[in-house]
Amino acid sequence: MNILSFIVLIPLFSALLLGIVHLYDASKERYAFYAGIGILAPALSTILAFMVSWDLGHQAPDAILQSTLFEWISLGEFKIAVGFMADRLSVVMISFITLIGTLIHIYAAGYMKGDPGFGKFFSYFNLFMASMLLLILADNPIMMFVGWELVGLCSYLLIGFYYKDPLNVKAANKAFILNRVGDFGFIIALSILFVALEGSGYTFASIKANLTMIDTALLPLIGILLFVGAMGKSAQIPLYVWLPDAMAGPTPVSALIHAATMVTAGVYMVARFSFLYSEIAQVGEFIAVIGAASALFAAIIAMYQTDIKKILAYSTMSQLGYMFIAVGLGAYSSGIFHVFAHAFFKALLFMGAGAVIIALHHEQNIFKMGGLKNRMKLVTITMLIATLAISGIPPFAGFFSKDAILAAAFASEHYVIWGIGTVTALLTAYYMFRLFFVVFYAKGAGSDAVLQPLPKTMTWPLVLLAIGSATVGFLGANTAFGGDDWFAGFIALPDMKPHLSHSSEYLLATLNVLMALIGIGWAYKRFAVQAEPMKVTTPLQKLVVHKFYIDELYEAVIVKPILLLSRLSDRVIDRLVVDGVINFAVFGYRYAGIRFAQLQNGKVRYYALYIMIGVAAMSLFILMTLGEL
Amino acid sequence: MQHILSNIIFLPLVAALLLGVFRTPLHWLRLGAVTASLIVLALVGVVIFYFDPSGGMQFLRVAPWIQNYGITYYVGVDAISLVILALIALLMPILYLYIWKEERKGYWYNMLMLQTGVTGAVLSLDLVLFYLFWETMLLPIFIMIGRYGNGLYQYNAMKIVLMTILGSMSMLFSILYLGYGYFEATGSWSFALNDLARLHLDAQTSIWLAAGFLLAFAIKIPLVGFHTWMAPAYGSSPTPTVVILSAIMAKLGVYGLWRFGYGLFENTLVSYAPTIVTLAIIGLLYYAIHAVMEPNLRRMFAYSSGSHLSLIALGIIVTNIYGWGGSLYFIATHALASAGIFLMIGLLFKRTRSVTIFDLGGIAAVAPRFAFFFAFFALSVAGLPGTGGFVGELLIIIGAFKADLWIGVLTATTMLSAMLYIFWMLQRTIFGQAGSCTETFEDLDGREMVMLLPLMLLLLITGIAPSLFIPLGEPQLTASLAEVMKAIGGLQ
Repeated sequence: MNILSFIVLIPLFSALLLGIVHLYDASKERYAFYAGIGILAPALSTILAFMVSWDLGHQAPDAILQSTLFEWISLGEFKIAVGFMADRLSVVMISFITLIGTLIHIYAAGYMKGDPGFGKFFSYFNLFMASMLLLILADNPIMMFVGWELVGLCSYLLIGFYYKDPLNVKAANKAFILNRVGDFGFIIALSILFVALEGSGYTFASIKANLTMIDTALLPLIGILLFVGAMGKSAQIPLYVWLPDAMAGPTPVSALIHAATMVTAGVYMVARFSFLYSEIAQVGEFIAVIGAASALFAAIIAMYQTDIKKILAYSTMSQLGYMFIAVGLGAYSSGIFHVFAHAFFKALLFMGAGAVIIALHHEQNIFKMGGLKNRMKLVTITMLIATLAISGIPPFAGFFSKDAILAAAFASEHYVIWGIGTVTALLTAYYMFRLFFVVFYAKGAGSDAVLQPLPKTMTWPLVLLAIGSATVGFLGANTAFGGDDWFAGFIALPDMKPHLSHSSEYLLATLNVLMALIGIGWAYKRFAVQAEPMKVTTPLQKLVVHKFYIDELYEAVIVKPILLLSRLSDRVIDRLVVDGVINFAVFGYRYAGIRFAQLQNGKVRYYALYIMIGVAAMSLFILMTLGEL
Repeated sequence: MQHILSNIIFLPLVAALLLGVFRTPLHWLRLGAVTASLIVLALVGVVIFYFDPSGGMQFLRVAPWIQNYGITYYVGVDAISLVILALIALLMPILYLYIWKEERKGYWYNMLMLQTGVTGAVLSLDLVLFYLFWETMLLPIFIMIGRYGNGLYQYNAMKIVLMTILGSMSMLFSILYLGYGYFEATGSWSFALNDLARLHLDAQTSIWLAAGFLLAFAIKIPLVGFHTWMAPAYGSSPTPTVVILSAIMAKLGVYGLWRFGYGLFENTLVSYAPTIVTLAIIGLLYYAIHAVMEPNLRRMFAYSSGSHLSLIALGIIVTNIYGWGGSLYFIATHALASAGIFLMIGLLFKRTRSVTIFDLGGIAAVAPRFAFFFAFFALSVAGLPGTGGFVGELLIIIGAFKADLWIGVLTATTMLSAMLYIFWMLQRTIFGQAGSCTETFEDLDGREMVMLLPLMLLLLITGIAPSLFIPLGEPQLTASLAEVMKAIGGLQ
C-alpha cells in the first residue's frame, strides 16, 4: 500500500465520517466541521495526485505505479484485487479531477451554506470523489465498474438532493436508469472478455498482453458493448436524455459531476481500452459517428434553450461528442486533451452560472437576467474567458484541443465527420455567446434587480479556473503553433498519427476561428443589445424547442409499454391464466366431489346395486385370470 | 461435538415445549425464546469455527429411527447447508428483537417451532427425515398467516398450504419410490441420501422421479408458473413470517434443487436444464415487470424476491464454478438484503398502518435515519456495488456467460430488472413531501437500529471483502462440481 491508495481512501473515509456525523444528528448545523473536513479530503488527494504525477513524469513513458489493498475475490479463475494502477493516462485524469474537484468543493461551501442538508451534501460529494478516483485508478475492469456504478449512485443522490420536489427525484431516477442501461452493455462486454480470457488474469495489463487470445470475431462485439456503457455515462445518442434533466441538482453538482468529471468517464474508458480499440477501426468509426451526431444534435437544441443550466448541459453533451470523435478515430491523446481542457472551462461556466443564479435569487431563465456586466464584473470577465475558450478562440484552451480533434478527423479523411465538427463549432460559438450576451450585455431584468452578495469562497475559485482555461491549451499546442505536442508526448497512448502539413494545419485553424467568429457575430447582432426569446414560428423551430420530442418518444415506446405489461401480467396472466388453471383444478375436484356424493345417497337399493356391480366385476376378474374366458 | 447439530435443531422446539407446558408468562417466554436463539447462534458459531472447508459433509450424526424401513435420523452439514444454517441462526435473534413488544404468545411459540423446522430441513441427510421437516416448517407459517395475518389472510393461508402440499406430495411419492427401488436393488431398506445416490435408475424412471422433486422445489422457489401463492402469502403475512419466507424458505427450494437434484439425478437434471433456465429467465424479468405497478410494498418485494430467486436457480443450473459460487453467495446476501427490506416495511407498517405506496412519501424529510436504512436495503436488493448482492449477481452473470452467450445476455438483464421498480418506489415512499400518513413519522429508535445494523454491516462486509467468505465454500463447490461433471461426462 502506498500513496496511490490514499488518493482514493482519504475522500472515502471522509465521506463515511461526514455521513455518520450527519445521520447521528441531522438537525445540528456544524458548518465549519463539514466544510473543513469536506474540503480537506479532496485537497489532500490533490497533493498526493500531483506527487504521483511528478513521480511518474520522471520515469519512462510506459512506467506504472501500483498499489494493491487486498484481494477482493478469488473463485476459480476469477481473481480480482482491490488494486490501483497509475500510468500516464490516469495521472493526467486524477490531477485535473482532484484539482478542479477541490475548487468546486470550496465553491460549494459557499453555494450550499445554510442548506439543512449541508453535511449530507459534503458526504455525497466526497463519496463521489472517491468513486471517481477509483474508476480512474482501478487496475482491473471489475473495480473500474464498481467505481463506475458508484459515481452513478452519487450522481443519483445529488441530482435528487432537493428531494421534496418529485420532479427532481424523477430526474435522478432517469439518470440512474439510463446509466444502468449503459452499464448493462458494459457488464456484458466485461463478462465476454473474462470468459474469452479465462485463466490469463483480468487486469488491464494482462488483458492487453493476452488480447490475441480473443476470437477476432468477438472483438468488435466487445468494443461496441463497452461503448454502450460509455454512451450512458457520457450522455451520447441515444442514452443522453438524462443529462439535461440532471441539472435539477445543485449547481456545484452540475459543475463537478455533470460537466467536468463523471460524464467524461466514457471517454476515459475508451482511452483505457485503446489497445483494444486500435484493433477494431470500424467500431472506432462507429463511435466517431455517434460522437459527431451527438455534438451537432446537442448544439442545435442548445440554440433554443432558455434555462442557463440546460444550455450548458447540452453544450457538455456536444463537447463530449467531440471527444468521442477523437477517441473513435484513434486520436486518443487529443480526446483526453479535450477532456482535460473542457474540465476547466466547463466547470468555470457552471460555477459562473451558479454565481448568477444565486445573485438573482435562483432565477435560471436567461431572458430574465440581462445587464449584469457592470454589476458582477468578476463573474463577467471569468465567464467571458470560459466562453471564448469553449468557442475555440485562440489562445484559450478550447482552441487547441478542438483544433487537434478536427485536424485529426480531416487528416484521417473522415470529411463528413470533420464537416459536422466544423459546423458544430460555429453553432457552439453562437449559442454560448447568445448566453453570454443575454445574461451580461443586453438590457433586462437583471439591470435593476437586487443582487444577493456572493461569498469569497464562490468567487476566487472562478479566478483560478479562468487562469486555467486561458492557459492549459498551451500544454497541447502542436508544432504548427510553436508548441511541441507536450501533452500527447506525455500521455503516450497508441495514437493514430496521420500526417498533416503545417500549411493545411494553419488553413484548418483559420477556418475554425472564422467559424467561431461568425457564430459570435451572429449572436452579437441578435442578442447583444436587446434580448428577446426567439419567436418560434416554423415547424422546424418548434421541433427544436421541444428537443425533437425524444423524451415523449421514449415515454411512449419504452415506459408506457412496461407499465402496461406490468398491469397486464397482474390482471391477465397471473389472475386468469395461472390462477385460472389452479382454480379450474379446484373446481374439477369440487364437481367430482358433488358427483361422488350423489352415489352415497343412503338408499339401500342403490347400495345393493353397488354390491352387485362389485361382485360381478370380481367374478369377471377371477374368471379372466384363471383363463376360463 | 457429535450432538451439536441435534442441539441446534431441537433446542428451539424443546424450549417451546417446556415454556408451553409450564404456561410461562409472557416475559419468561420472551426471555426463553431469545436465550434459545442466542444459544443456537453461539453453537452455529462453534460449528463455523471448527468447519473444515475441504472436509465435505461433516458433524455427521446417524441414529436408527424406524429400523424396519431403514429410516434413520441422519444429519450433517457441508458448505452449502452451513450458509443457510448461519442465516437462520443470525436472523432469529433479529426477528425476536423485532417482535419484542408482541404480546400474543402464539407468535413466540410459532417462531420457535419454525426455527426447528427450517433448521432440520437444511441439515437432514435422510430423505424421510427431510420430508418430515419440510412439512413441519409449513405448519407455523400456516398458523401465523391464518391467525395474525392481514387482508384475505385465511384464504391466502389456505392457498400457500395447498399449493405447497401439492409439491410435497409429489416429492413424497418420489422419495418412497426411491426407497423401494433401493430395496429392490439391494434387498435392504434405506432412505439415506448417500445410499440412494448410488442407485442406478433407468432414464425414464429417473425423469419421472426427478419431476416429483422438482415440482416441490419449483413451487417453493417459486419458479414462474408455480408462483401464484407467493404475492398473496407475502402480502398477508406478519413481518417475521415474510422474512422467513423470503430469506430462508425460498432458499430451501434452491437448496433442495442443489442437494437432491444434483445428489440424486445429476444426469436427468441435464435434460431439465433448458426448461429450468427458460423458466428462470422468464421469472427474472416477469416478476420484475410485475413488481413495477404493484402498490403494496410487501407484494412488490415478494415479486422482487421471486425475481432474484429465479436468478439463483439459474446460477445453480448452469453448472459451473462461477454460477455455483455466485448462487451460494447470493443465497446469503439476498437473504440479508430481503430480511432488511421486509423488516423496514414492517417498521413502516407499525408506524403508518399502511404498506401501500400511495399513502407514503416524504419520509426522508421527517425521519432521515429510517430513510437511510430503507434506501440502503432497497439498493442492496438492486445489487449495488459495495453490497454483497453485487458480488452474487456478478458471479452468476459470469457463470451464465460461460455457459452460453445468449443465456448470459438474458441473465445480465438482472442489472436492469430490479431498478424498474426500486427507484420509482423510492421516489414515492421516502422522497417527496410528507403526507397525512407520514407527517408524524418517528425515526428509528435504539432497539431498531441494533436490529438493523448487523444486517447492514454484513451486507457491506460481504460486498467489500468477498474473499473472506468465498474460500469457505470454494473447495467443496469445486469438488462437487467435478463429481457432477464426471457423472454427466460418463453419460455422453
